[in-house]
Amino acid sequence: MRLGVFREFALGLLGRGEATIAVPSFDGALKPNQALERAEILAELEAPEDLATDGATLFVADGPRLARWEAQKLATVRVFDRPITALACLPGGAIAVALDGREVRVYATPEAAEPRATFAGADMRSVNALAPAGADALYATDGSATRDANDWVFDLMERGHSGRALRLDLKDQSVAVLASGLRYAFGVSASDDGALVSESWRHRLTALSPGGPAREALTHLPVYPSRLSAAAGGGWWLTAFTARTLLVEFVLREPAYRKRMMAEIEPQYWIAPRLSSGASFKEPMQGAHLKTMGVVKPWAPPRSYGLVVRLDAAARPLYSLHSRVDGVNHGVVAAVELGGWLYLIAKGPRRLLRLAIEGLATEFSV
Amino acid sequence: MSQIILSLEQATKLYAGVPAIEGVDFELREGEIHALVGENGAGKSTLTKVMAGVVALTSGVMKIDGAVAAPRTPLEARQLGVGMVFQENSLVPTMTVAQNLFLGQERFYNRLRGIYIAAQQFLQSLNFDVPPTAIVGGLGAAKKQMVEIARAVLNKAKVIIFDEPTASLTPEEKKYFFDLVRDLKQRGVSIVFISHALEEALLLADRISVLRDGRKVVTDDADKFDRARIVQAMVGRDLSNTLYGVRKATVRRAGERILTIQNLKMAPMVRNNSLSVFAGQITGVFGLVGAGRTETFKIVAGVLKRDFFHGGEILLRDKPVRYRVPAPAVKAGIAYVTEDRKLEGFFETFSIARNIYLGLLSKFPRGRALLSAREQADSGKRWSEQLKVRAIGQGGRVVELSGGNQQKVVIAKSLVQAPELIIFDEPTRGVDVGAIVEIHEHINRLADEGKAVVVISSYLPEVLALSDRILVTRQGKVVEEFSALEATEEKIMYAAIH
Repeated sequence: MRLGVFREFALGLLGRGEATIAVPSFDGALKPNQALERAEILAELEAPEDLATDGATLFVADGPRLARWEAQKLATVRVFDRPITALACLPGGAIAVALDGREVRVYATPEAAEPRATFAGADMRSVNALAPAGADALYATDGSATRDANDWVFDLMERGHSGRALRLDLKDQSVAVLASGLRYAFGVSASDDGALVSESWRHRLTALSPGGPAREALTHLPVYPSRLSAAAGGGWWLTAFTARTLLVEFVLREPAYRKRMMAEIEPQYWIAPRLSSGASFKEPMQGAHLKTMGVVKPWAPPRSYGLVVRLDAAARPLYSLHSRVDGVNHGVVAAVELGGWLYLIAKGPRRLLRLAIEGLATEFSV
Repeated sequence: MSQIILSLEQATKLYAGVPAIEGVDFELREGEIHALVGENGAGKSTLTKVMAGVVALTSGVMKIDGAVAAPRTPLEARQLGVGMVFQENSLVPTMTVAQNLFLGQERFYNRLRGIYIAAQQFLQSLNFDVPPTAIVGGLGAAKKQMVEIARAVLNKAKVIIFDEPTASLTPEEKKYFFDLVRDLKQRGVSIVFISHALEEALLLADRISVLRDGRKVVTDDADKFDRARIVQAMVGRDLSNTLYGVRKATVRRAGERILTIQNLKMAPMVRNNSLSVFAGQITGVFGLVGAGRTETFKIVAGVLKRDFFHGGEILLRDKPVRYRVPAPAVKAGIAYVTEDRKLEGFFETFSIARNIYLGLLSKFPRGRALLSAREQADSGKRWSEQLKVRAIGQGGRVVELSGGNQQKVVIAKSLVQAPELIIFDEPTRGVDVGAIVEIHEHINRLADEGKAVVVISSYLPEVLALSDRILVTRQGKVVEEFSALEATEEKIMYAAIH
């Protein structure tokens, strides 16, 4: 124990190991562009959260409302009594919704009056992603055992590590914990031999296989990864709700500062990632710049960012679509592919967006 | 029009038959600030060294005050009124400011107190805030530069040449330096300064000359230039009939991420540098001198050390590594092919095979109990054939080879280690055209085989011809990334100097 404390002190002093304040660069397949800014805006919504598709129809979770995108507009399918925090279409036309992060319901059809299965309890607190796991099961990620789904920034600042990946069996309505102790699990999708899970605060994707050890599939991301969805032709679309910055990494390594900041400052003004920015001059850093030899150069790290990454079947990035600090379509939390289009939710400006997939690989592959 | 104080007519300087400058006409007016800009290797330094008597012209004429002058040493140039301020190089660090000022002017008996008083008075007359009794080694870069300038003025220089004067200065120090230069101008001193920072040239100079490939492209008043015109003049070469004439039509797709550098620091050269290198691709790294390219990759290869405190992180295949010496880096599969082959690349009196074998042995940090003459001969033969090293005989010493073949030996010495990440630092510097083609072919072959290849080069056409992706560095960090398909010389140069 004493040795551990000494080691931690030494590493902190030297700025090494855990105390290395370092963020990987956006390069290679993650090279920045402004592709998300040219996406078509389909709708401005109240509280968009997640997307799902059965291969023919796009479903949108907007606050407590479940809507369907048809005839170039959103049609309400049903309204729940609590906000939807995750959405997934299952084989056979069924649909699964997570309500307020604490309950998962599966309906045989989107319009069905009564749920076919309900999962509650099992310490669910912030279920934020759902994905089909074969014909009779679901994968789910429960971000945090201590914070609600909307309070993710608290979980980050408290350095939460209570996330879980779950498998919900529709037959016997049992819940199996695939992995626990995750640093904010936020996104899951089925893979060949199990599930691929996003672990936001560890900036990585982990491959989980039944009975086998967890394997790091993609690590050292310069962003906080979130939901995953299958891409046509193999691989996935990975969303990242914002970028990591040195400043936030530094704050995360300063417990005393963080504690005081959380106690004394309104959450919207914390030095913390945000889904959107520019609402107030009190926000830290976003507008800062340096003047060098008479030339104004922006230097402030982005407080908010928009990013979708196309991954191949080995979870390696192929290319990425960005909305940088001077853009608007930030806080991308969901992306699904349907009919040659990529549908997206930019939670920052609360928009449903659409982008033609054709030509993206050619334009943005490095 | 003010009087011409120094001029060069058809100035040519050959190094081993290769022109560093060729047919350059240059005029410096009295009391003007004249900026020299150009890429690395454009001939700026050679031109100024000719003026300062460091090197002599092969052909052409230099005139000072209208009279032909051919200074053979810096001392002779100084006597003619031409002084050069080097980048901190020409001061004696263990001596005081006053001793440095009067170095070379000692009399039979020097009274130290007298020197200090004279230096104090002189520095005050220049309004320089430098204590004459301070040891030079303990001064900051700006103060050292002040001492250099003071020494030039003390020597009654009519012309002062600055080689990259602001490279190591902070913004505040730069401002102070600019004021000093303007003050010197007021005193009637003519200034020549080399700068990679175009803003500085545009801000400070009365006239700007642009050099490219050893020739003067244009001289004009500074207010007739903007950045775009300077960049165009710096890089606007016609390559259609050369080795580099064909542009890439396709690029290799990135494979696994082999190397990740995160916020790497080695003051003052590497500042918060971050980049990734992928397998199966050639990553070109371009930057002007002082951009921290070589230093970054020398840290990766264990040749240099990053900052002890908060030096950033290097990940090899996503695992943190910190090499204090090159041997473990070699063992981990990193090969660094040096830019200075004569100093760091080989043992010149050893044979080709022995040099290559030494490369293989360095893969075993603890050495080998037994050495095999046959293994040495076999590996030497195999790699000589593979890289087409042309030698008079098998036992020929490396010193007897041409530059291109020496470079091939250095490359073979690294490749014999079967590395996964190969860093080529200026792979074709001082290499003949035929060997350049062969070296390029081999670098391409390595990438095709799935190796992660880094090519650091100051020659833009080479970067464009070889790279699949191009990273541009400036002031110690990567500032821009281009796919080879979208990159142009102008875009890269713009990123490198802005």
